[in-house]
Amino acid sequence: MVCWAVCIPPGDRMASILNKLPWFKAPHPLIARNREAFDRFDQSRPLDEYTFVVCDTELTGLNRRRDEIISIGAVMIRNLQIDLSTSFHSYIRPDNLEHTRATLVHRITPEQLEVAPPLNEVLPAFVEFLGTSLLVGHHVALDMTFLNQAAKRVLGATLANPGVDTMRMAQGYRRVLLGQYHQQGESQTGYSLEALSREYRLPLFRSHDAFEDAMQTAYLFLFLLKKFRKGGLLTLKDIYQAGRVGSLRY
Amino acid sequence: MSLEHDDVHRVAPDVVVSFLEAVLPFSTLERTTLTEIARHCRIDFFPKGTRLLTAGETELTHLFIIQQGGVKAFLEDDQGEVTLKDFRGEGAYIGALGLIRGTRANLNIEMVEDTFCFLLPREIFLGLLKEQPAFTQYYLKSFSEKVVSTAYRELRHHKVSRRNHEDLYLFTIRAGEVVKTLRKVPADMTIQAAAAQMARYRVGSLLIHSEQDPEEIQGIITDRDLRSKVVAAGLDYTLPVREIMVGPVQRVLSQTVCFDVLLKMMSTGIHHLAVEQGGRVIGVITSHDVMLLQGHSPYYLFKEIRSQASIVDLYPLAQKIPDVVRGLIKEGAKAGNITQMIAILNDHILDRMLTLLEQEMGPPPLPYCWLLMGSEGRREQTFKTDQDNAIVYADPGNEAEGEVAARYFKEFADQAINHLVNCGYPLCPGEIMARNPRWCQPLAVWKSYFDHWINAPEPEELLHATIFFDFRAGYGTVALAEELRDHLTVKALRQEIFLLHLARQCMGTRVPLSIFKNFIVGKDGKHKNRLDIKSQGVTPFTNFARILALKHGIKETNTLARLKVLVDGGQITDEIWTLAHEAYELQMQQRLIHQLQQIEEGTHPDNYIDPAHLSELERRMLKDAFAVIERLYGLLGSMYPAG
Repeated sequence: MVCWAVCIPPGDRMASILNKLPWFKAPHPLIARNREAFDRFDQSRPLDEYTFVVCDTELTGLNRRRDEIISIGAVMIRNLQIDLSTSFHSYIRPDNLEHTRATLVHRITPEQLEVAPPLNEVLPAFVEFLGTSLLVGHHVALDMTFLNQAAKRVLGATLANPGVDTMRMAQGYRRVLLGQYHQQGESQTGYSLEALSREYRLPLFRSHDAFEDAMQTAYLFLFLLKKFRKGGLLTLKDIYQAGRVGSLRY
Repeated sequence: MSLEHDDVHRVAPDVVVSFLEAVLPFSTLERTTLTEIARHCRIDFFPKGTRLLTAGETELTHLFIIQQGGVKAFLEDDQGEVTLKDFRGEGAYIGALGLIRGTRANLNIEMVEDTFCFLLPREIFLGLLKEQPAFTQYYLKSFSEKVVSTAYRELRHHKVSRRNHEDLYLFTIRAGEVVKTLRKVPADMTIQAAAAQMARYRVGSLLIHSEQDPEEIQGIITDRDLRSKVVAAGLDYTLPVREIMVGPVQRVLSQTVCFDVLLKMMSTGIHHLAVEQGGRVIGVITSHDVMLLQGHSPYYLFKEIRSQASIVDLYPLAQKIPDVVRGLIKEGAKAGNITQMIAILNDHILDRMLTLLEQEMGPPPLPYCWLLMGSEGRREQTFKTDQDNAIVYADPGNEAEGEVAARYFKEFADQAINHLVNCGYPLCPGEIMARNPRWCQPLAVWKSYFDHWINAPEPEELLHATIFFDFRAGYGTVALAEELRDHLTVKALRQEIFLLHLARQCMGTRVPLSIFKNFIVGKDGKHKNRLDIKSQGVTPFTNFARILALKHGIKETNTLARLKVLVDGGQITDEIWTLAHEAYELQMQQRLIHQLQQIEEGTHPDNYIDPAHLSELERRMLKDAFAVIERLYGLLGSMYPAG
């Protein structure tokens, strides 16, 4: 479980001082609202009271300094159901299109990227979409690293939304199924999104597309969450702990 | 979700849209409507063992459509006794009835597998019911013509393969083999005399030769010339025929294959061509003659059967019947018509065969009638069904006459049955055939048989005797069969206990509960991977119709005809008639096509269908047919209550 600690500068006066210094630019209003919402975040409410945004990003590579986000796909989960009335999917025109062209392994064509909006348009829209939802992803730390890096650049600060990692959940679920005495045999099959989706016999989507991967992750998340809930884990906190120690009451 | 275009930004509902596009009744909706619906859908997951709905308690806010997984529907009484109602898998829906009626759930629903569902909000569903007629019809269970015809079309297209040698007849048969006996008249004959010749020889055309040389063909006249040039024009028909003939006549060589003949006809627009052999015209070939060659013409086969002069020549003709049936299915004929056609062709084979056999053996000592039983008796044969036949002959005047008759008919039946086997009709394993002395008897004995079955029914014996109640005359003195039918009809009318036995027996055939994934599920929850389409799908209708026909003194033997007489007489409702005849006919169709496939694959036709090979619509239709059978059983049950 990845939880981003948040530090908010105290008071208006402080903010006004910092505002004048270019390296302490005040966060974008979106970010301010975002932080306020998670100021007093309560992990003990029943699961169906949270909204989740299941997200996947496509990157040009894994190098944090050089690589960029070129696509974001996300679906909303309300009341523990995938809500199809709102979803998010956009390509992003990278700064370094030439470098990108050489590294494209996705289903995205350079032509699609050329006409796509830039990050400073897409990211605020995504943060708006994300709102006060929890961010769900498969190996969410990676997505979060790039999103936060982008957020710092465009909005002046990182996001405060707590994250939920479906990969960690799957590890917890497998521990429970195998029993605590068999933790060594954990990695017989992989923890990739595709391997897990096949293992749990979920409806399958095409991979390497941010939106379809987000849908696939949403299915995996629903599957695991409901399996956990059926096993007696009723709050977000329970789920976090299950991911760590595995204590399902089956 | 599969979308071919990479340049399209996919929106969330695509997963739902592409799924619903393949599921009835959503597949009848426009894509734009589907997209709009999909936007309102939610996707939910229910682990195996989840209780989704509880009968009488759960308020329905959504229609559930199963994307993946499976559920069972059941009821539970006060004592906790569970009755399974249904198994539902991919594409099936949950909660429709409650939403339509505005009531709570009427069944308990529990997930038997990990299940993903699409949830369609109540308001959207009710809106569709109001605005989309196909929807209303689907959920109210009475299928529109459209849905039914879709089902038939699907059956035809998916299951009847194209066959490569279909048009082979055209390439192998030559003009000289098709040509008719030459009819020709001299050019100076009067029009009237020529017309009289055409009438006498029953031909549609005459060749005209010169007065001096009969071998010199100058022209041709056809029915059409008489109509348009003579009658319509008011021409004096004592004029010589030369005045109206068309000449010179277009010719083809006798060794030309019929395909080329057809090409010539199509390119010239001339439908009568003279056939030439060694410089002589030997006759005429018409477009009609060529068309009849295309093997699957029932009329062609019919004519061929009637013109055979030896029994062995009937063998190959009988083998052609599947071709004819195949053609009919492809042209969209329904099972009811097809089985009638099969019956007619089989009847003609039998008629010709027994006529020739009588000629071989000398005239029979007494009038007799060849009886057809079971499906043959009901005119409901599919392909080669077992022989079920018998002989009834006039009561002999004395013992000696009786012995002569018994000997003759035994010999006659032995030979006939061998010939039938050679034609491709297998022997009846139960020996219900005319060669069995028990089923080759004078009228009085036959009457006593029926009296016995009706007056003192033994359940076991009755089970084997039901096929006798569907007899009809196949060949010979029809009056004997009629007298027997009258006798039995009157007797059965007064015998409730006999009918009760038949009804019990009929209801003894269990109706499957549902089709779930690739299994047929029984009421006991057991899964089977094949369906006996005859005994589970067709026979219940046949039995129902037979019982009610006997009860109400109806002499028809055909199931659809029996049901029609019953509805016309008000003994069954219009609703039952509609449900029953549609369901029955579709099952028959399914069976015919299944068997046709087997014949084309070179395997022996049977009645076992693998549910894995059924389309979504076919499963749906089959499930509905099971429900119709339940209704019929319900009717029988109320007429003849148990205990």
